[in-house]
Amino acid sequence: MRRRIMPVVIALAIAFAFGCGGGPPPLNLPPHAMVIRLADVDDVPTLDPAAGYDTVSWTFEQAIFDTLVRYGDGNIELEPDIATAWESSPDATSFTFHLRTDARFSDGRSVTSEDFRYGIERVLNPATRSRGMEYYRGIVGAADFAAHRNPHVSGIDTPDNSTIVFHLSAPDPIFAHKLAMPFASAIPRDVAEKWGDDFSRHVVGSGAFMLRDWIGGQRLVLVRNPYYFAKPLPHLDAIVESVGVNQELQWLRFDAGQIDAMVDIPPAEFPYVMKTPALRKLTLAKTTVTTRYLGMNCQMWPFTDVRVRRALSYAIDRHKLIAILNGRAIAARGVMPPNLPGYDPDLEGYDYDPAKARALLEQAHLAGGFEFEIWMRADQTILMLAQSIQQDLAPLGIRARLKPVAWGPFLEAIRQPHTVQSYMQGWEADFPDPENFLGALLSRAQWGSNNDSFYSDPEVEQLLADAQPVADLKKRYALYDQAEKIVVADAPWVILYYPVTYIIRQPWVHDYVMNPMRPTRFEHVWLSPRPE
Amino acid sequence: MNIRRLVTLETVGAAMVTVLVLVAIFAPMLAPHDPTIVVAPTFGDPGAPTLAFPMGTDELGRDVLSRIIFGARISLTVGVAAMAVTMTIGIAIGLCSGFFGGAVDFILMRFTDLMLSLPPLLLAMALVAVLGPSLRTIFIVIGLVSWTSIARVVRAETLAMSRRDFVVGAEALGAPSLRLIARHIIPNVLPIIVVMAALRTSDTLLLDAALSFLGLGVPPPTPSWGRMIEEATIYFRTAPWLATFPGLAIFYAVLSFNLLGYGFLRRRSQ
Amino acid sequence: MLAYLVRRIVFGAAVLVGTSVITFTVAFVVPADPAVAMAGAKADPQTLASIRSEMGLDQPLYVQYARYFDRAIHGDLGRSYIRRESVTRLIADRFPATAVLAGAAMALSLMLGIAMGALAAAYRGRAADNILLVISLALVSIPVFWLGTMLLIAVAATIRSFPLGGYSGATSLILPTLTLALGSAGYYSRVLHTSLCDAFDQDYVRTARGKGLSRMRVMLKHAMANALLPLVTLAGLDLAGLLSGVVLTETVFNWPGIGRLAAEAIFNLDIPVIMGTVLFSALLIVVVNLLVDLLYAWLDPRIRLAETG
Repeated sequence: MRRRIMPVVIALAIAFAFGCGGGPPPLNLPPHAMVIRLADVDDVPTLDPAAGYDTVSWTFEQAIFDTLVRYGDGNIELEPDIATAWESSPDATSFTFHLRTDARFSDGRSVTSEDFRYGIERVLNPATRSRGMEYYRGIVGAADFAAHRNPHVSGIDTPDNSTIVFHLSAPDPIFAHKLAMPFASAIPRDVAEKWGDDFSRHVVGSGAFMLRDWIGGQRLVLVRNPYYFAKPLPHLDAIVESVGVNQELQWLRFDAGQIDAMVDIPPAEFPYVMKTPALRKLTLAKTTVTTRYLGMNCQMWPFTDVRVRRALSYAIDRHKLIAILNGRAIAARGVMPPNLPGYDPDLEGYDYDPAKARALLEQAHLAGGFEFEIWMRADQTILMLAQSIQQDLAPLGIRARLKPVAWGPFLEAIRQPHTVQSYMQGWEADFPDPENFLGALLSRAQWGSNNDSFYSDPEVEQLLADAQPVADLKKRYALYDQAEKIVVADAPWVILYYPVTYIIRQPWVHDYVMNPMRPTRFEHVWLSPRPE
Repeated sequence: MNIRRLVTLETVGAAMVTVLVLVAIFAPMLAPHDPTIVVAPTFGDPGAPTLAFPMGTDELGRDVLSRIIFGARISLTVGVAAMAVTMTIGIAIGLCSGFFGGAVDFILMRFTDLMLSLPPLLLAMALVAVLGPSLRTIFIVIGLVSWTSIARVVRAETLAMSRRDFVVGAEALGAPSLRLIARHIIPNVLPIIVVMAALRTSDTLLLDAALSFLGLGVPPPTPSWGRMIEEATIYFRTAPWLATFPGLAIFYAVLSFNLLGYGFLRRRSQ
Repeated sequence: MLAYLVRRIVFGAAVLVGTSVITFTVAFVVPADPAVAMAGAKADPQTLASIRSEMGLDQPLYVQYARYFDRAIHGDLGRSYIRRESVTRLIADRFPATAVLAGAAMALSLMLGIAMGALAAAYRGRAADNILLVISLALVSIPVFWLGTMLLIAVAATIRSFPLGGYSGATSLILPTLTLALGSAGYYSRVLHTSLCDAFDQDYVRTARGKGLSRMRVMLKHAMANALLPLVTLAGLDLAGLLSGVVLTETVFNWPGIGRLAAEAIFNLDIPVIMGTVLFSALLIVVVNLLVDLLYAWLDPRIRLAETG
């Protein structure tokens, strides 16, 4: 009998020993350090600027790395970062940047133009599998470099340590914005090559913060970079992000003062927060530069008929969707969201009008309704919204079948011309220009890529081609506006809403500013003493 | 009538299953509302249980009670269909393995071992994620990952049967295999098959609920108990009833088949 | 004995290879483009094409498998498409959390299960036996994810500052362990009950009873040892399963284990991670099976003799 008991007891002992000793190791920060504590559900995907293409990765990448130019704290005007001044040639094919000389990496080394060249070449190198490749393909010699025919990108010139010139193969007035993306950060070649694919775990950058430790699945700790050029910034001594904390628990911790800011207020708590003045005061909102829509495949029945597409645009109640999102959205009228330069506030979209929808369906000989599929990413919120759409369409005799699938197959399927009838999708601006919406999503050239509604209109094509090289912003936006009006009338999408993000921060957190196109930067944030 | 003799595991189980089946069949008459349309004034937020909506309403303004009632249809359909698939595969493999023995047995059993080394939930998830969730995909996938225990049990029983004198004798006399299997093996293996069918159904119900919980169940708006729990998890602090009722429903269904199957099992071994 | 061991190891290796072939085939025959998973939503066809050729994804399937196999033997299970981390590292990072939960859950479920089963057998035929039977069946019928959610609800409503999810020390272990252990406890108690009852009908037990010893005593001294054997096998297999991650519990409690890693990988069709976790799970099952068989042989001399005879 003793023989049997022992293994069980031993197992128990081991389990408890592990359990008690488990959890993250102590933080070991100096007692009066100014530390901001954050939390998130999932682990940070990556810290490698070439790889990251999501809000969380960018949040930390922009704290650790610098780019040539960046956006202001609360706006989308280009500001100097490492580049102190820049100019472009009149035909927008050549861009020159002058760098400051006092920027240094966290290991002490100076930042030179070579580091920026290396950063972009790294992105263009297929071996890095970077998600930002396409933004820099317009640089002369990029294709040759990617095909390994040339060890360097010939279109990037570094005449001296503090000057870098980009030559483009076609005019691109907004190229400078592409250099504000974390993809174009300065990367120290020796460190990156030493760690290869593991660079993400051992990042060294020239930004305000540096990586101290990252325990996968548990926490990420950044501390201030002693060599940061914009002294006395940052005010914060450290940023601690705990991961694996679900939303409800985050909320409870925030309520107890254990977390300093929450980037996503859980839907279950949101109504309560908005109704409580003390909490409401602590929230900040920003309209993200995102449009969410129900794309319809113009090459597949029944959406080949513009009347059917317009009928759906009238039949769907956008306010129900906003109710599901707890009010964290704005009903959409046009393709471009409010914060995007070139946005037309007077654009007439579609109101909720089931009578008009019915009339249009009759004209299209579909008064009895029809059945169709809506494909979407398997996401709970999207499913909820899709069900609301189902509810709206049912009285018209239209039966929508929902097809939630994984991300990968979803993308592949919608890019096929005859597979998906309609799909739920969203698009967030990469840079502040209408080209990033109209050109990227609705031009003929993007069939099989991002134009998954396979829409094409010759007038729109002409307008897009005319507008793209125009440097005069007023003229540029006017041309895009014309194009947008045609698109809205053609209704290849039922444009649903523009999401609004709310964050909440503790009263002792200051200068935490929201940026429409980027996650909040930490350089200026400071904390007053916490109440005990 | 002695009450104590009447109230056994299997009778209680049978009664519970019957209620479940009746609810599923008569759902449209039993449910107070249409489970897919907005009936609550609180669209966008869950509503607490009231007299009008005894189990509350969900985020999309739908009546939870009606959704639970209609959910019985999906659960039963998937559970029984998956059980049928699983039993078919398991019985076929078990019979062939046990009866023919030798190389056939070896190959089939090694194949079973291989299947056993693949984690069933993950395998089911992977297949559904790839094939896309639909009613048919789900019960086929569940059926595909659950047959190993049936195969083993049937094989053991078949082996035991095959060695019995009358079977060996019939074989020696030249009776065709199929006939032997049909006339002698199957009738004797039947009792254990019935037991396993009941127990398997409870397992397939749980697996289906798990898949729905993970977002891989039958697509909305068809109400599915597992998915209802998944949709309710973010409200676990503010609207706990949303998660409670669907779970009770699953528990009830699974328990009923377990009682039924286990009752038969005990009866058989007495 | 040695011959037996060698045979089992060879067989185990064969199972692993077989598993890898099956998983590989399913993963790559699946109509999902890995390049899309890697390059993300907005990548244009050119980016995808260059990634594809760089990764050797346009090579024939058997070539890709050979490369994978070769690397796997050396411990390199490739890199996650989504996270860029090495799969081995991803699994290793999460294994401690998984192991702790597995150990605690196994310990608790064995304790509860043995206690319940033994009690029910001792009071066989009486009210206690039936009550425990119903309890066991009820425990086995509760969906794990629902139990976890219910526990979360109960605790959130009553105890402040109790960790609700995530792995942060001993207290955070309590709820997930309870969730996992209750169902298994019900199952083990039934298995033990059956074997104990079988043991009771054996002659040597009857003799002891005839000598006037109480049922409990008889059970503990004589019957238990043999009755525990089938349970050992079962628990062993279950442990292997627990160690490869429990998706449902980990999802409900945000536990940073291998189960969640695998589930996430399946949703994103992150093939290297899927393959890595499946292989790891298969490896665990093979190893644990072997250990359990050895343990069985060691504990029960009859088997050992039969094998070598």
